[in-house]
Amino acid sequence: MSTLTGSFRRRFLDRAGVDRAVRDAASAKPVALVDEPPPVDIAPNDPLLAYLQGASGVVGIETLELDSPALTAMKAAGVQLAVPLVSQGELIGVLNLGPRRSEQDYSLDDRKLLDNLAAQAAPALRVGQLVRQQQAEARTRERFEQELEVARLIQQNFLPKQLPDLPGWEVAALYRPAREVGGDFYDVISLPDGQVGFVVGDVTDKGVPAALVMAATRSVLRASAQRLVEPGEVLERVNEHLCPDMPPKMFVTCLYGVLEPATGRFRFANAGHDLPYVKTADGSVELRARGMPLGLMTGMAYEEKETVLAPGDSLLLHSDGVVEAHDPDGHMFGFPRLKEAVATYPGGGELIDLVLADLREHTGPDAEQEDDITMVTLARAGGSTPAEEGPAPMRQLTEFDVPSAEGNERLALTTVSAVVAPLGLTDARLERLETAVGEATMNAMEHGNGYRADQPVKVRVLTGSGQVRVQITDQGGASTDRESETPDIEAKLAGLQRPRGWGLFLIKNMVDEAHEMSDGKVHTLELVMHLDDKSEIEHERGDDDDQ
Amino acid sequence: MTDATATFDVRRHGPASVVDIRGDVTAGSEDVLMSAYAAAGDAEAIVLNFSDLSYMNSGGIGLLVTLLVRANRRSQQLMAYGLSDHYRQIFELTRLDEAVSIHDSEQSALNAADAG
Repeated sequence: MSTLTGSFRRRFLDRAGVDRAVRDAASAKPVALVDEPPPVDIAPNDPLLAYLQGASGVVGIETLELDSPALTAMKAAGVQLAVPLVSQGELIGVLNLGPRRSEQDYSLDDRKLLDNLAAQAAPALRVGQLVRQQQAEARTRERFEQELEVARLIQQNFLPKQLPDLPGWEVAALYRPAREVGGDFYDVISLPDGQVGFVVGDVTDKGVPAALVMAATRSVLRASAQRLVEPGEVLERVNEHLCPDMPPKMFVTCLYGVLEPATGRFRFANAGHDLPYVKTADGSVELRARGMPLGLMTGMAYEEKETVLAPGDSLLLHSDGVVEAHDPDGHMFGFPRLKEAVATYPGGGELIDLVLADLREHTGPDAEQEDDITMVTLARAGGSTPAEEGPAPMRQLTEFDVPSAEGNERLALTTVSAVVAPLGLTDARLERLETAVGEATMNAMEHGNGYRADQPVKVRVLTGSGQVRVQITDQGGASTDRESETPDIEAKLAGLQRPRGWGLFLIKNMVDEAHEMSDGKVHTLELVMHLDDKSEIEHERGDDDDQ
Repeated sequence: MTDATATFDVRRHGPASVVDIRGDVTAGSEDVLMSAYAAAGDAEAIVLNFSDLSYMNSGGIGLLVTLLVRANRRSQQLMAYGLSDHYRQIFELTRLDEAVSIHDSEQSALNAADAG
């Protein structure tokens, strides 16, 4: 028997492996009546091909006359009969037969048998070819799936195993890889002083390469975040680390923010990532900060911004898989719609669920997800902790450090007083706030920071919702050295209490509200004055005894 | 302790000694206040003049309590005048006003001292 090889095979290469099937069919020897003749090449332009394709059955080679090099070769090889295998009008193989072993001529019955054989073998061969083709495709697919599985494993291994439990905050996250895993990632990092770092990033490219770059980025970011804390510096450092080893045409977009849970302060920097949205009482706003993606160029600086997440506010960090999801007509979900969703929906896990539902509606229920989808939400409860009353956003007026040294409370109170003065508190109430700020700063310097020079007291002044809030934070979240007994003048005069210990008592009586917040690391005392004067009268005792 | 940013001068008026407080009354004022108290000697009444007080904090209030304890021990009466509304309110809140009699003027205080 002969096979179709050489130029003939090349011609059929794009027809799903016909060459291999033909050769396999030959080697399976279903009609091995004679010793196998040497293979004969049939050139694509050889007239024998057209002849065999058009033949109605077994072709006698010896009597065939054609200007065909293949025919000449077949004759030389002793081929007597050629049986074309035709399936659905297409020549998919040829059985070449040499002389019968009995040395008799092929009979009419032999030819009928061969015709029947060819009629049954051709479709069977075709099926065989298709099966092999599918197996080859399946192997390719399997390799691809395995690679995706590796990428998925890397990806999932580097996602946070659990989210932090922050009192007064709801933290929720979603990472939903596309089938062809993209390079999305998110992370939540515990930082010194009870601060928490939030990361959302996206590596260009997909699959294993993206997953490896993502893993590297995450590790460098974690290490840098612990040392540097300030988001702009952290991204700068990560960029310097990534640049030398970044594969060509790859880079990482990344948003990094640091939350102070006690106060809602959120500092952030952005390396070319989609802007986060914050839902405030006035709708949703974008948090903008300039910066190039990571891994493109060394020497980049990252702008650092900050905001305060007020009670009721919620923040959404997201990847482009959300806004770039297309509907069947090719329209993207888009930033405006996501922004609107943040403004309208409740925060936290509910926001994620509702955005996902919107996405499903947009793309259609059966659409394959185009890209990874990542969302991280951070929602501050509206009133579950003392500092979180009222839904309106707070605007920060100032923030400064006061070195922990005796007498420095004057610095705090004069600065706060100057900042608060334009808000319209009466002189008497402003003076009360000053006293409270002075006392709170003294307590923070002494009981929180132990008058250690390297531990300043942080003072922050916010306003909004008809209030002014002064937050005074020390490093003594775990300190037990705080005033606890209520001072009593008679007990003090009788020597039952020490003469001092009036600070907290004064504070509580000077301001409209005082809230203590402590998370084991930092301690914050928040002083609240209402800007309307309705409570003025409540602080008057009216039992003058100056006569 | 930081240096006291205060001067406490003492004037004698009959049975009373008037201490003119200028500046701050804080924990850091202890030495100055106690020197003034010593200078006031065995007066029957110690009259604290707060007219030129610029700042008093809880440490200063603690100091007044200490002074009050010493004065009580020597059966001396402690009086005050010249307090701003703000500090007057603090005296009321802390009930210092029950142990230190508060007056609107020096004369009113001295009259009360004479009567006592």
